[in-house]
Amino acid sequence: MQWSLIVEPGGRPGHENMAIDDALLRRAQEGVAFFRLYGWQPPCLSFGRHEPAVARYDRDRIAALGLATVRRPTGGRAVWHDAEVTYAVAAPSVCFGSLADTYRAIHGVIAAALRTLGVPAAQAGPQAPVAPGAGACFARPAGGEVIVGTRKLVGSAQVREGSAFLQHGSILLVDGQDLVAAVTRGPAPPSAATSVAAALGRVVPFADVAGAIARAARAAWPGTWETSPPPPLDDWGRFADPAWTWRR
Amino acid sequence: MSDIPSSLHYTEDHEYVRLTDDPEIVAVGITDYAQGELGDVVYVELPEVGLSLTRMDEFGTIEAVKAVSPLYAPVPGEVVEINEALEGDPSLVNKDPYGEGWMIKVRIRTQADLKELLTAADYQQHIGE
Repeated sequence: MQWSLIVEPGGRPGHENMAIDDALLRRAQEGVAFFRLYGWQPPCLSFGRHEPAVARYDRDRIAALGLATVRRPTGGRAVWHDAEVTYAVAAPSVCFGSLADTYRAIHGVIAAALRTLGVPAAQAGPQAPVAPGAGACFARPAGGEVIVGTRKLVGSAQVREGSAFLQHGSILLVDGQDLVAAVTRGPAPPSAATSVAAALGRVVPFADVAGAIARAARAAWPGTWETSPPPPLDDWGRFADPAWTWRR
Repeated sequence: MSDIPSSLHYTEDHEYVRLTDDPEIVAVGITDYAQGELGDVVYVELPEVGLSLTRMDEFGTIEAVKAVSPLYAPVPGEVVEINEALEGDPSLVNKDPYGEGWMIKVRIRTQADLKELLTAADYQQHIGE
C-alpha cells in the first residue's frame, strides 16, 4: 500500500478539517492510503453525522460563547476539539477489513504509540451500543477505543463509502470535554474523558505525540510512506454550511 | 453462517430485495450478513416518500458503532413507503433484517430490473460463506 503522511500541527478551522478528511476519503477510493495528524484553530465543537444537535445542544449558548461548530461526515457524538492531536486514516477498506477490525487495528497502533510516551493506554473491551443522541462522545468508551484505566483517552468514528473508509478521532492532550456538557440542554452524562496530561502529570506537545503515532503507524502498516501536504481545496462544501451543521 | 433466504434478490453491496403481495412493490433492506458485520445499528436515515431512485443511488445512511455507511438502491423506482419503526427502534435491522427491519418499499418499473440482481447462491459466493 502507498501511504501519504500529512502532518499539520498549526491547526485549521473545523470546516476545513472535515472537508480535507472527506476529500481524503474520496482519494482513498482510488487505491491510495492517507494518515493525517492535525489540530484545530480555532477550537471547535463537532457533532456526529446523525447526532440530533438541534434538540440536544443550546445553539444560542454556543453562539454566545463564540464557539465554532461543524458536523462531521462520520458517526458518533459531540467532541470539543482544543488541545488534542486529531488523526485521520483514509484508505481502501481492504487494508484492515471489517469495521470492527479497522477500529482495533488503528486503535492498537495509537495505544502502542502512547505507551512509548509512558501513557498506560489500553483498548476497551466490548461495550453496549450507544445511540447518536445519548450524550457526548467522551461520556463513555466504545469497544476497542483507547482508555487509561476506565477513562477514555481517544474517541473515534468512521464513515465508509464505496471501496474506502475514513476513520478519524481525537487524542486528548488536555481534557476540555466538560464544555460539551456545559452547552447540552438538560442533564448530561458526566464526561469519562482523560488526557495525556492527566496520565503523565505534564503537558506533552503536539509534535511529541504526533511523532510517536506516525512512527508506530509506519512500523505497523507495510508499504511505501511519503510525507505530503493536504490536498488543495478551494471549496469547503457542506462543512462550511450552517444548514449542514444544524441539519437535525 | 448468515441467513440468506433463497426467495430474495441481493446486491454486492449487501442490500436485498423482497417481493411483496403487490407485484409492482418491493421491500429493500440490508442482509443478515451486513447487519452482522456492522454490529449494533443505532440510527438509520431514510429518504422522503416519493423520491425517485436510479439503480445504485444512495437512498440513505446507516450508523453502527459510530460508523456511517451508505445505503444503495438495488433497483430503480419510486420510494412509496419507509419503515418509520426504525426511527424508534433501529435495532430491528439487527433482530429481523428481512422482516421488521426492512427499510424502504419501492415501486419498480419492470420485473426485468430484478434480473440484474444476485441470486441467493451468487450472494453466498460473494460473501464467501
